[in-house]
Amino acid sequence: MTADRQQLDNAIEIVTPENIAFRYQVAGPFRRLPAYLIDLVIRGMMFVGGTILVSLVSLVFGLAGLPGLGAGLTLVLWFALEWFYGGLFETFWNGQTPGKRLMRIRVLSVDGQPINGLQAVLRNVLRALDQQPVVFCLVGLVTASLNDRFQRMGDLACGTMVVIEEPQWFRGVIRLGDPEAIRIAGRIPPSFQAGQTMARALAAYVERRGNILPMRRLEIAWHLGEPLREKFDLPPGTDPDMLLCGLYQRTFITDWDEQTSARTGSPFRESGSPFGTSEQAPSENSDSAAAAQVMAAADQGQGEWSASEEER
Amino acid sequence: MKVSDLLKSRQANWEELERLCSRIEGSVRRKPDAATLARFSSLYRSACADLALADAYQLPPATIHYLHRLVGRAHNQLYRSRRFNVSTWTRQLLVDVPRRLFSDNCLRLAFCIFWGIFLLSGFMAYTVPGYSERVMGKMWTMQLEEMYSEPIQGRNPGASSGMAGFYIRHNTSIGLQCFAFGLLFGVAGLFVTATNAALLGASFGHMAAVPQWENFRDFVTAHAPFELTAIVLSAAAGMKLGFSLIDTRGLARTASLRRTAVEAMPTMGAAMVMFLLAALIEAFLSPSAAPYWVKTSVAVLSSALLVVYFVVLGYPQED
Repeated sequence: MTADRQQLDNAIEIVTPENIAFRYQVAGPFRRLPAYLIDLVIRGMMFVGGTILVSLVSLVFGLAGLPGLGAGLTLVLWFALEWFYGGLFETFWNGQTPGKRLMRIRVLSVDGQPINGLQAVLRNVLRALDQQPVVFCLVGLVTASLNDRFQRMGDLACGTMVVIEEPQWFRGVIRLGDPEAIRIAGRIPPSFQAGQTMARALAAYVERRGNILPMRRLEIAWHLGEPLREKFDLPPGTDPDMLLCGLYQRTFITDWDEQTSARTGSPFRESGSPFGTSEQAPSENSDSAAAAQVMAAADQGQGEWSASEEER
Repeated sequence: MKVSDLLKSRQANWEELERLCSRIEGSVRRKPDAATLARFSSLYRSACADLALADAYQLPPATIHYLHRLVGRAHNQLYRSRRFNVSTWTRQLLVDVPRRLFSDNCLRLAFCIFWGIFLLSGFMAYTVPGYSERVMGKMWTMQLEEMYSEPIQGRNPGASSGMAGFYIRHNTSIGLQCFAFGLLFGVAGLFVTATNAALLGASFGHMAAVPQWENFRDFVTAHAPFELTAIVLSAAAGMKLGFSLIDTRGLARTASLRRTAVEAMPTMGAAMVMFLLAALIEAFLSPSAAPYWVKTSVAVLSSALLVVYFVVLGYPQED
């Protein structure tokens, strides 16, 4: 299991020669099996094409007395396609066969390095074992599920794994169009500096709040929003959801100085000056617990309905 | 500097890196030119730096996830798969493999099992009536007798080439299966070896007791040494893989398996070469009408070659 995140996840962390640690997502049977079936179809097509080619060639030469040569070459072609198709493709195509390329997965060594020819050929030869009993592929499936890298027997013997490699759309900061959030952002004291866990919680919440129903958003945001609302001395009717969005705006998008020029409401709180009576940076301890709770809740999309909600 | 400004400034670079990745992925044939590669590597290094500092910059999790994917993708383009090391193949086949096999316990075990069961089964088929029918099945026994009911007249070379392809495919497939199944803790390899030995012994023993013996002997002699040795070798290679899971010599099981796999593949390569030679001999020489002494001398020659390979080349030397 990976050291820091003890989640049941298919992410494997590797450290590269650039001394950077990044995560790969390992491909499970639902990607590898379709890739194998596509490869089977392509192999069949290559075999048919090869047979036609060989018959044409042997028709040209075969009348000169070697009629069986065509059949022999066809059988050798079948043998090569059966045992060495995967190995040769994975060696020369940087760890991909046509089927794997369509499913966007790739074969890599376990430590993140590329594979060499020996590993590619051997893992494909050992697939004969992983396919037993023939249609059900039980040996391969059972071995893959007992492993945190989804390695079947062939992968275990060669030290390889299959990772997903899909291009993804860029997702940056979310531009909140809500004027309410911007107004609240203007009322947050300028000395507010989000710590790391707070920033991560805010980003996790705002990224996912679009998928959560409004009532649920209130539930989730209340855990962090209520303590912060008290800390910033905002009026009791403040929407916690909008408060978190405002905090997100302040943390990731703009500063307080820019906010004073962009806001639409009054910069001053009812009870005093914006520079605060005794404002300090929010302490990490009490907020990180709440931040962790919000992050967890946002991850699950659930919230706890608490008694004080009924006051609203 | 706020995160959104930072992302604005870095996003252009990341998108350019994505475009270069797609371009390099797409051009499997031609290598990209030097300027593209230089630009790609510098973009990759800066993306790596961005990822390393992602926590310090307080990037949102979605962007971090995106960066992981991007860096992973670029990493795979930069570090490409290594090809076969063909220049070492001769040295491996002629020097490393014989020396390793000379002191290989799995080979000795496979040899004893195969030949022991083979001779036993042959003896039983020769002396006990009805044994071969029970082992091979009545239909196969009758087919066998029928195949060799006439003396060998020779075949035209065309049909021989066809049969060469058939033997290559059939026998090498059996050998590779023996090898692959051996991984299942060595037991499956033993099982496949034992069954093959029993069947072959039964057919040999049966044919020795019937009048078609002459024709059978004519056909089988020439290619027998290579083929039987190749089967034993592939079974032994498979068993070595399987037993490495049990007898790990102090390493973890997967590490022991990986180390043995690197040694087992060249052995399988040697077995495949032997299968190829056996198939060629079986297709061209065995069904030909050449006199029996020619086939016997070929058999003797191949046995001598095998002895040279395993004993002379394999004898441990200090060098």
